[in-house]
Amino acid sequence: MKKPPQCACCGNKPAVGRGPYRRGFLSKLLALALGALALAVPAVVGLISALNPLRVKGQGGRFFRVTSLDALPEDGTPRRFPIIADRKDAWTLFPNQPIGSVFLRRTGPSEVKALAVICPHAGCFIDFDAKAGGFLCPCHMAHFDLDGKRTDEQSQSPRDMDPLEEVEIRDKRDVYVKFQRFQTGTPQRIVEA
Amino acid sequence: MRKLYYWLDDRTGALGALKAFREARVPGRACPCRAMPFLLVFAFLAQGITGLFMLMYYSPGAQSAWESVHHLQYDVTGGWILRAAHHYGGQAFLVLAGLYLVGMVLRGAYRAPREFVFWTAVLLVLVSLGSLLTGDLLAWDQNSQSSTLVRTKFLALLPGVGAGLFKLAAGGPDFGHLTLTRFLALHTIVMAGALAVLLALRAWFARRAAAMVQDEVRFFRPFWPTQFLINVGVCVLFLVVIGALVASHGVAGPERGVELGAPADATDFYAAARPEWAFMGLYGFSNLFPGELKLLPIFVIPGIVVVLLFLMPFIARLGVLGHALNVLVLLGLLAADAGLSWMVVVEDRANEHQQAALAEGRRDAERARELIALRGGIPVEGALTLLQEDPKAQGPKLFRQHCASCHAFVGGTDEDIPASEVSSPNLFGYGTRAWIAGWLDPDKIKSDDRFGKTAFRNGKMAQFVKDTFSDLEKEDEEERDLMVAALSAEAALPAQADLDKKDSERIAEGRDLLADCTDCHKYRKGGSLGTAPELTGYGSRDWTLAILANPAHPRFYGDRNDRMPIYAPTADDAKNVLSRRELELLTDWLRGQWVEP
Repeated sequence: MKKPPQCACCGNKPAVGRGPYRRGFLSKLLALALGALALAVPAVVGLISALNPLRVKGQGGRFFRVTSLDALPEDGTPRRFPIIADRKDAWTLFPNQPIGSVFLRRTGPSEVKALAVICPHAGCFIDFDAKAGGFLCPCHMAHFDLDGKRTDEQSQSPRDMDPLEEVEIRDKRDVYVKFQRFQTGTPQRIVEA
Repeated sequence: MRKLYYWLDDRTGALGALKAFREARVPGRACPCRAMPFLLVFAFLAQGITGLFMLMYYSPGAQSAWESVHHLQYDVTGGWILRAAHHYGGQAFLVLAGLYLVGMVLRGAYRAPREFVFWTAVLLVLVSLGSLLTGDLLAWDQNSQSSTLVRTKFLALLPGVGAGLFKLAAGGPDFGHLTLTRFLALHTIVMAGALAVLLALRAWFARRAAAMVQDEVRFFRPFWPTQFLINVGVCVLFLVVIGALVASHGVAGPERGVELGAPADATDFYAAARPEWAFMGLYGFSNLFPGELKLLPIFVIPGIVVVLLFLMPFIARLGVLGHALNVLVLLGLLAADAGLSWMVVVEDRANEHQQAALAEGRRDAERARELIALRGGIPVEGALTLLQEDPKAQGPKLFRQHCASCHAFVGGTDEDIPASEVSSPNLFGYGTRAWIAGWLDPDKIKSDDRFGKTAFRNGKMAQFVKDTFSDLEKEDEEERDLMVAALSAEAALPAQADLDKKDSERIAEGRDLLADCTDCHKYRKGGSLGTAPELTGYGSRDWTLAILANPAHPRFYGDRNDRMPIYAPTADDAKNVLSRRELELLTDWLRGQWVEP
């Protein structure tokens, strides 16, 4: 009699004449669950690192020296100044680079108001438009007055320009600003983490 | 031989598949109208092939992405063709997918049993939009970086999760290295993979749908070879169109192929940023809404449109009316998209700010190219630093920001910078003979181009020029010209070097005449400081740097300085308004001192 073929590794013989093969509910469940789990392992391993950017924080919330008081025109014309600090882009460290900009405007002999340059709508940089005597965002043409208030009948921006409330004049000449960034797109002003 | 044939077929089923292909049938006559699915696959494969070869040259990274594209565009043989073919090929794929979708609706071919074919077509359009969006960033030039930044910032509109989604897309709080690596992975693996799967699914669903209606069709013709030939013919035609687009900016010169703007500055924003044409309609649409409601045009309404597209096969079940409604909706959407896009183009053309920003972007792009060619390569810090260290590129920007509120730079050229409110001399042609001559001309010294709007309008100098140089005799005029030549030679301008050399004798004579000025000015050994600006080295690099740093120094205007800001009173950059480097850039630009090819 011919020997029935058997598996080389486990010695299992093909089921012959044992009646219909029974597929238990538990086996099905286990098979699916294990299969999904096996695929999930590489996916989760990848996702953990892919989600890392959520934990990286921006450089807001600190005081930076922006300029000296002399640089601000006495007639109250705003000027844009970069915030200089060490900037880190993933692995590259850029020493002394602009990490953002602010508009400064003299509102008194030794009083300075600061506005964020970034448009609250979509994150473009707002320009000062000397001809119009106000601010203009070039991306979607939103206009603001010198205080950063929206002046369009229907503004592209969801809120007025973001003021940086904390401005300090140190040693009677150095202008320090607490630099902050705000979430774009929202009518409320939300400080970016 | 026969044995080999059967063995191959037995083991691989290849011959059977080949036979099935040969026997495949199309309903009705062979026709170019049936070529679209084939063309879509062809266009996709073409993108895959050009994309693969581009990938061999690409280096994602904030200091290497633009640089590697620049290398491909300008150094690699045929690189510009490769880049342009992929650029136009990608947009053409979107157009084809769109045409396929529209054609299906117009012909009614989206109705049962072809719902799934239709849905894959909708997804093909959406994913190819995503592919364009992710691919556009990779060039990392000013426009691609800034316009993608805006589009990605729109994620923040989504309540609750928006800010996190932006960080995930950008790879951090700002655009940088990780944005490029992420977008590259999305573009080359995720989007391309999704398109491949969708094309395969489309074929599968179409086959099943065709099998269902087989009985209704009277006669079939074989696919091979007539329809196949027609399909290939259509593909060749498609290639001709792409070829024409690739060559549309000429086949020689730096403008050929696809434009590469100036390298992106992650710390700045390109003021002329606009989306690609495919998103222009959406851009125009979102501008119709006030800032507080941007969620509607960016996410909600496009979302509703997509849902509506998905529902079309069901709407069609309502009968002829349903089908007519679908056709109307789709054509209406297309017309609205085209109209809104056109509106944006028209508005931008009339927008001065936009045009000025575009022109500046083009100048920067051209200058970057020049600087790289002059230097023979790109420094390791990236191409952006070349621009940032270049007086020709930075001078106008610094001047606009710090000087143009009072000084004009106007000489009737393209690079003119008008003052917002003139209150000091026009600095165009600074130090040149023509500019110096203006100071010694009684008609000009009191004009707005010189002292007209300053405290010196009625000062000693203006009076002196009026007394000395009014109604001159011929030989006195000659003497004045000698003084002008001598004073201008003090600046030692690079552009006047040859002229100064040629006129060295006249300049020597002029110098003797300038000795008359030492009652007020210090000049060489004569005169003393404290009454008027020093004339020794007037307009030279050192002199200019010094007056920009501190015009109220006794060497210049002393305590009679009229409103000119003191930009660098100390030796410490951190305590000054302008850094030493910025003063150098301004000085070199004013003096026309930069490298030229």
